[in-house]
Amino acid sequence: MVPHPIFVMNAETSRYYIDNLYTQDNAKCYQALNFVKNSIMGSNKQKGIVIANGILPRLLQVLPDQTKTPDIRLETVVILGSLAKGSEDQVKALVDANVVTYIFNAFLMDDEPKFIEACLRCICTILQYPFSDYSVVFSDAAIIRKLIKTIEDSISNSICAMSILSYSCRTTAHQNILWEEGIGLILANLLNTEVDDLSIATLKCFARVCQDNPMISAALEETEYNGETISDVLDSMRGGDRPTSMRLAASKCITCLYRAGAINVNDYKVMYGTLPTLVRLCQNDQKWEHRVEAAEILAVIIEDDAELQYLASISNHLLQTLAEFVNYPTHPLGEYGGTYGEHRSKEMKQAAFKVFASLGANDEEIRKRIIETDNLIDHIVLGLKDPSPKVQLAAVRCLHSLSRSVQQLRTTFQDHSVWKPLMTLLEGASDEILSVTSSTLCNLLLEFSPSKEPILESGAIELFCSLTKREDHSLRLNGIWALMNMAFQAEQKIKSQILSTLGTDQIFNLLSDSHINILMKTLGLLRNLLSTKPHIDYIMNLCGGDIIQAVMMILEGDHLPEVKEQALCILANIADGDIAKDYIMRNNEILKKIQEYMTNCNAKLQAAAIFCVSNLVWKEDSGAADRQAKLKEMGIFKLLQQLITTSDSLLFDKVKTALTQFSDS
Amino acid sequence: MSFSPSTQPNVTKPDWLSRIENMKVNRKDMNKLIMNYLVSEGFKEAAEKFEQEAGISSPLKLNTLGDRIKVIESVQSGKMQEAITLINQLYPGLLDDDRDLYFHLQQLHLIELIKEGNIEEALVFAQAKLSEVGEGNPTILTELERTLALLAFEEPQKSPFADLLQTTHRQKVSSELNAAILRFHNQPTITPKLYNLMKLIMWAQDELDRKKVKFPHMTDFGSATLEPPK
Repeated sequence: MVPHPIFVMNAETSRYYIDNLYTQDNAKCYQALNFVKNSIMGSNKQKGIVIANGILPRLLQVLPDQTKTPDIRLETVVILGSLAKGSEDQVKALVDANVVTYIFNAFLMDDEPKFIEACLRCICTILQYPFSDYSVVFSDAAIIRKLIKTIEDSISNSICAMSILSYSCRTTAHQNILWEEGIGLILANLLNTEVDDLSIATLKCFARVCQDNPMISAALEETEYNGETISDVLDSMRGGDRPTSMRLAASKCITCLYRAGAINVNDYKVMYGTLPTLVRLCQNDQKWEHRVEAAEILAVIIEDDAELQYLASISNHLLQTLAEFVNYPTHPLGEYGGTYGEHRSKEMKQAAFKVFASLGANDEEIRKRIIETDNLIDHIVLGLKDPSPKVQLAAVRCLHSLSRSVQQLRTTFQDHSVWKPLMTLLEGASDEILSVTSSTLCNLLLEFSPSKEPILESGAIELFCSLTKREDHSLRLNGIWALMNMAFQAEQKIKSQILSTLGTDQIFNLLSDSHINILMKTLGLLRNLLSTKPHIDYIMNLCGGDIIQAVMMILEGDHLPEVKEQALCILANIADGDIAKDYIMRNNEILKKIQEYMTNCNAKLQAAAIFCVSNLVWKEDSGAADRQAKLKEMGIFKLLQQLITTSDSLLFDKVKTALTQFSDS
Repeated sequence: MSFSPSTQPNVTKPDWLSRIENMKVNRKDMNKLIMNYLVSEGFKEAAEKFEQEAGISSPLKLNTLGDRIKVIESVQSGKMQEAITLINQLYPGLLDDDRDLYFHLQQLHLIELIKEGNIEEALVFAQAKLSEVGEGNPTILTELERTLALLAFEEPQKSPFADLLQTTHRQKVSSELNAAILRFHNQPTITPKLYNLMKLIMWAQDELDRKKVKFPHMTDFGSATLEPPK
């Protein structure tokens, strides 16, 4: 068979070459590899042919085979590197075949410069993909050490090593490993080089190493380089004379240092350097990828600080610019079809939503301006139904932020029936989306929100009750929180529905939850259920015994005073009922508990216990005389008389009210 | 800033020269500029000599310069198979990173086949390696169509697409290749810095002319001769 002279393979000829890879004749094997290489370089079609004909397993056999010549092994890695630059499906084939692991093994065994460079380039290409197995990098300390060592070799190797580290450094543990290996000094040295590509790769690695890591961030900020602090070097790299991707990467580093507490918010580099730069880079004279990145970093830098949010909102028409993001056309004029335009418009949209969410976190005025921007709310509601989870999540975050506004809850949210798509999301979304969605719904269930009723009518009780059973504690919290908001001043029908759906067993579970917030909201729910006389009697009739038992469990348990105060308040509510009072009066144990708390060292708990007593002995309620007699008999009346000498004015009032209830006192 | 006609400055040639004289130029900067020029234009031997004599190191390893020249020469002489083999050996991955360049190199090969009258092979080749680049890229597709249109003419040299057969077309591709190789080595700009400086002089003179300032013009850049203001 004669090789075709111009590096073209079809299914048949490619099989001929792949067969030749199995030969023991090194020269022939090299020739075949060389031909394959020259055919596939630049051509995804040719790459597809060799992959389909099973070249991968053979290449992975040749790679570690020390009987093969260095040339053969080099050619093998180069071919893998070229395949990695093919279509996404082709890269998936490489990932499925564990190519990264194989190449790292070869990388550790060999020191030949060209071979090392080819290994690094190939791994670097594969790890760019989110579906690649980046965990291999940190699975072996030897890999990290050798990667760091290769940084000294050449510009190409240092760029690859920096990129590989930034793709794979995902956890605090990873960050600390790199820190121990001395990455700090290496980053400082390579930050501002004459080679832009290297500086950018280093910046990206820098951001990964210090992100959310206060210890490393502080240490990096304290590092001096050529008499300048690191953040000053970063700030100069953010300057207008640098390429946009470098400005973005440097802005991200400053953002990470600031968010990890290493730079102060008032530092000019944050407020008057990075913030305006990011706002500027969102504008429409920039490439769309850069605009998206700028917006995403902007959302992070302002997320936590009201002043930065305000500054951003009045900078350079940011809101109008973001409105462009949201309205970005899927098919700009003169562009070919395909899914590319769609991808771009999704990315733009979710980036804008993220910024809106951060902008509206605190200030009512900014929220109002956001809502008034170009039909934004319609886009957000559409975003909730978007097939891309990334867009969905960003849209819910945005709504969550806006839902902190009483005004918006009453108007815009109601007009657009925002609750409907939110309820739909609740049914089958990921935990992350579920968590933000349920928080948003919590706000929509506040008593002044007109959405409360329709949400209740659409089966929300079941959904939230099921959330309280979830593994993720933030979901449990949102579930019980929403139920608490629902129960506030609700009709009796709703209350009994909540109670029967949730079930007393689940209430006991939640009261034993290790997260105090969940415990507090559960008690809050009980309090809301047990309000207004007729409801109290009704609910106590349904499950009074269980509720008393639950309260007792909290009062006897080892809890913070604010938890116990809630439990005593529940008792006070029960004592406010007509028939409900008997649940306490019949139970000597609980009466003794109340008596005990009357002399607690915490004045708030004392006040709550006394409030409970005064509800029990309220003279206008029928049967008051009997109850008064019983409490007198227990010595509670006497105790009150002693407590009247208190210097605490709040407590004094409560004691006085209670005492005046006792007849002829 | 605006000048009223009465206060318009006139600068005489001696005055201009003495002003220029007062500017200090660092020799090291000069040498760097020259080295930058030699390296980006691919003057290997001159750069090596200059490296020794001026004691200045080049930003690029000079032994890689020879490789670059070899590759570019093979493109310029139309030996495409040799060129592609060399590129893949010296700069593995370059053709994957720059698919436009890949297309242009393959296109040159196609043109060689057409020139040789090897129509059948030209068609197979276009089908196998060129068609995929045209998919989804309208500019490339047009270029491909123009190239294949050459097949329709008995004498392609006289066709409207004859420009593709000229050596200037090869030159265009080879400078694209030169730029790609420099990028492969992470070298930022491909135009020599001297080129920018020349442009800066021209721009400054234009600006002064627009402001109607009379000053000695530099007309012949090769000798940097100044003509007195008219």
